[in-house]
Amino acid sequence: MTIVLDARDLERRHALEGSEVTALRGVSLQVEEGEYVAIVGPSGSGKSTLLTLLGGLDLPSSGSVAILGASLSALPDRALTRLRLERIGFVFQRFHLLPVLTARENVELPMAEMGVAPDARRARAAELLAYVGLADRSGHRPTQLSGGEMQRVAIARALANRPAILLADEPTGELDAATGREILALFRRLHADGTTLVVVTHDERVTSEASRVVRMLDGRIVD
Amino acid sequence: MLRRLASCVVLITVLWPGHAKAQRIGIAIEQRLAEASGLAVGDTLSVASPNGGPRRPAVVAAIIEPRADPATILRKEYRVRFHLADLAELLGQPDRIDRAAILLQPGVDPDSARALLDRTAFGYELHGTAALAASSSTTFLVVSRFHRAIAIISVLASAIFLLCLMLLKVDARRQDVAMLRFIGISRRTVFIALLLEAGVIAAVGGVLGIGIAALTSAAVNAFYQQTFATTLIFSLLTWRTIVEAALLGLVLGLGAGALAAWRLVRLPPLVLWGRAG
Repeated sequence: MTIVLDARDLERRHALEGSEVTALRGVSLQVEEGEYVAIVGPSGSGKSTLLTLLGGLDLPSSGSVAILGASLSALPDRALTRLRLERIGFVFQRFHLLPVLTARENVELPMAEMGVAPDARRARAAELLAYVGLADRSGHRPTQLSGGEMQRVAIARALANRPAILLADEPTGELDAATGREILALFRRLHADGTTLVVVTHDERVTSEASRVVRMLDGRIVD
Repeated sequence: MLRRLASCVVLITVLWPGHAKAQRIGIAIEQRLAEASGLAVGDTLSVASPNGGPRRPAVVAAIIEPRADPATILRKEYRVRFHLADLAELLGQPDRIDRAAILLQPGVDPDSARALLDRTAFGYELHGTAALAASSSTTFLVVSRFHRAIAIISVLASAIFLLCLMLLKVDARRQDVAMLRFIGISRRTVFIALLLEAGVIAAVGGVLGIGIAALTSAAVNAFYQQTFATTLIFSLLTWRTIVEAALLGLVLGLGAGALAAWRLVRLPPLVLWGRAG
């Protein structure tokens, strides 16, 4: 199996009001292609910090992260940005769609940055919106969509450039129980279709669906 | 010269129908006087010098609207025009003319005409209208400079306001920018997008500003033209002003947008997100 994500001995220390706070203490994690990993733990356990390191949004104080063999620490900012565009898909708790763009345009955004031709990205956006069940909502702006629909658009956007891995930070955190179930069903389907998923969550339902559960406490993986 | 009309600020004007058969002179009165006194073309009145002397019957031969002159905008007196010979006789000083305006035929060079008259007409001092305007418009020059100073201050204040507004507007979208950086949108793309947005805002603002300026200018002109019964233009909006204002607005908007965008994109995404210091 291909190792998509390889994190070794990650430590992350922050300066806070003159003292140093350690958010992660020697965390190692390997994710194989097609795996569905749930990272769970109480608030302050370091799971979101871990996700920012895995996604190349932040650099570890020590240790290393590699995506498909490319070490993130060795990359300059421009190359790291490009790697996020090409190989990592992000899903946020609060969706963070651009309100001035339609659902289709939001999905097209990463493809436009990649330089995909307009016709091709339009077709891909239509395909992804159909996949997440929003084919008939492509012309709507985020303000015209429900929370669940916005999250589905965000998932379609994250999949736009066929990333090697999808990282999600509390994807059901802003949704009611029923809508959360819909999103989890979508993740289950993505996993079944071969997408590699890492989901940080408080939602215990995710743990029953993920292929592996990583439990964190005080900056360490405990299980 | 009889056809030449001279200006005069004299004048006592009294209706005098009984002099209809005496030797009458023809005069032209201005519209304001005609309206105030109810005079019409063909009416007869008597005129005299304010310094005394004989009265002369005069018939209103024409009603004129003098060219608008900002120097006389607040004047109360009325203007009556006489044939030069009649005026000289009325004043009892046939050899004295204080001022006379000479209207040149189209195409005649004012400097050549002035040089010619200087050589042939002894005792006169001739001035071109441009030189006269320059020497008699000191007040207007001061006012004009004052207006320019106000305009510069207004533009500077607006620029600072625009900059602050742009900084606030862009700053309010830190999380959007952070999200764009998270999903792999480059600093360059984000910068260009913010710059374009600032440019569009500046352009739309410029068009709105020019529209408001045009409406305000029209209102100011309408009000003062009615108040002073004049055709003078009090607020002038030229194409040059419009182009300069639009360009200035665009440059300031783009500058403010560039500064605001640069402040944002140079920060790491996590700092924008508010999760790291």
